Amino acid sequence: MNEIIAIAGSTWKNVLRLKVVYFLVFCVWVLVTSALNYDVLSLGLHKELLVDASLLLNTIAGVLVIISLTFEIPKELKEGVASTMLSKPLGRTHYLIGKLVGYVVVGVIVCSLIALGSFFIFKISFSEPIGMIMLQSQIMVILSLIPMAALAVLFSIALPEIVAPIVTVLVVWFAHSSAALFNIPVVYGGIIPDLDLFNFKADAVYNTAITWNYVILVALWGIAYALFATALASLIFSRKDIR
Amino acid sequence: MGAEIVIQTENLTKVYKRLFKAGKKALDNLTISVPKGAVYGFLGPNGAGKTTTIKILMDLIKSTGGTAYVLGKPSYDVEIKERIGFLPDSPAFSPQLTAYEFLNICGKLLKIPSAERGPRIEMVLETVKMAPHMREKIGSFSRGMLQRIGVAQAILNQPDLLILDEPLLGLDPYGRQEFKQIILTQQARGASVFFSSHILSDVEEICDHVAILNKGKLLCAGRLNKLLGASGFTAIIPPNNDEVLKELITMAAKTSRKEDGAWILTFPADDEIRGKVDAVVSKSSDKINVTAAYEKLEDFFFRTLKEDNKQ
Repeated sequence: MNEIIAIAGSTWKNVLRLKVVYFLVFCVWVLVTSALNYDVLSLGLHKELLVDASLLLNTIAGVLVIISLTFEIPKELKEGVASTMLSKPLGRTHYLIGKLVGYVVVGVIVCSLIALGSFFIFKISFSEPIGMIMLQSQIMVILSLIPMAALAVLFSIALPEIVAPIVTVLVVWFAHSSAALFNIPVVYGGIIPDLDLFNFKADAVYNTAITWNYVILVALWGIAYALFATALASLIFSRKDIR
Repeated sequence: MGAEIVIQTENLTKVYKRLFKAGKKALDNLTISVPKGAVYGFLGPNGAGKTTTIKILMDLIKSTGGTAYVLGKPSYDVEIKERIGFLPDSPAFSPQLTAYEFLNICGKLLKIPSAERGPRIEMVLETVKMAPHMREKIGSFSRGMLQRIGVAQAILNQPDLLILDEPLLGLDPYGRQEFKQIILTQQARGASVFFSSHILSDVEEICDHVAILNKGKLLCAGRLNKLLGASGFTAIIPPNNDEVLKELITMAAKTSRKEDGAWILTFPADDEIRGKVDAVVSKSSDKINVTAAYEKLEDFFFRTLKEDNKQ
């Protein structure tokens, strides 16, 4: 466990010191705020638009953080950072879980900052309290980082460096589009995660209540899928030569 | 496997698979033993299989045949790495971390207790002359500084075995001198050192054992002085001892003169000549040193490779 925390710690320290992370958060805040300009265009639905935009942009920011993991692992393997770490008493599975946890932590921090900023913008724009569903829907965005990060780890280990981010983007897009593409049941039968389960945008916009039990069940499903994908990645990684 | 052997490989083989091509044999039945306490130089031209061997020993690369044991355990044993220090050929570390933070993570992985970790990190940074840079980000370091941090992380756990891939690469002459001193200090502490290098003069200076590899095959291995062998002997004739010089110079295969005027005569390894030289030396009133002349490692290395390439 200590090894995982050590690797995760080095990962989030390394990423959170990149200025681009905070630039991303700032850009999302600006874009969320700009939803207020569309009151006429959206026939007065700019409040709903702001909620929808904050959730959508937070999801995109989360995806961007996770995609950067598919660059990070091959880079570490190629440049020798991973060799140095793996020359210590650190199992390959621990290394992968450490990277996954590290990036999930970065994603949680980025998405939480965006969510807090969105709540602040909503509060000062409409002088209304933040509803429970808004909180729950932002939590679901953050929880969706877990299976997405596991997918990114799997593809960055199993696929060549250039292909891994492209495949991850495509799979994450498919995974978020299960409601629209529900007629491909085989694909969504467990191979690709159904990330639409984490999508409460409509509920948040129209203030429909959902239970915490449902949130917990979806979170557990996400963790279970992450375990499956990480186990598969670990199996592949255990046979891989680190040049 | 004997307790006094720290690295043992037997018929170690590695074939790299290639798409639509025949596999590339990087290591061919390599069998070596590194005795405890040795400073073992692992030599060979580029592509000889040195890094492949080292990476198999560190379980970074999987062998396709044979066995590799490190400190008495199979090389894939994760726990044994607590007793090993490793420096990769081109060390790279997380660029956003400071030198101290990076070594702290290494210390955590090496299970060094937190109370002990800080002083230990400061000590190794002092050893590699990087203490003034401990709070600077690794991303701002030069190649030589990275190499020093690499050495620091390798000796952080006071390992029983140091495995170093081209440790002298990227270091200036001062750095190389300091590094050789570090290796000898580690040996004096009781550690065994196994390292690859292209700088043969340095290897000759600090190694007591060497192995030479070419195209994945072991050409020779063993004690350095045994491998280089006595190729003859030399006598140093003090200045103004013309009588002795006159008698010996006709038998010498090679002559040279020192700055103080003394003559260095090199004789072939011949018992008859040795007897005559000893007789002349014993009669002389001056003290004349007669010592065995060894082949230079560089000459031996190139001769060995040339012979192998001829086959």
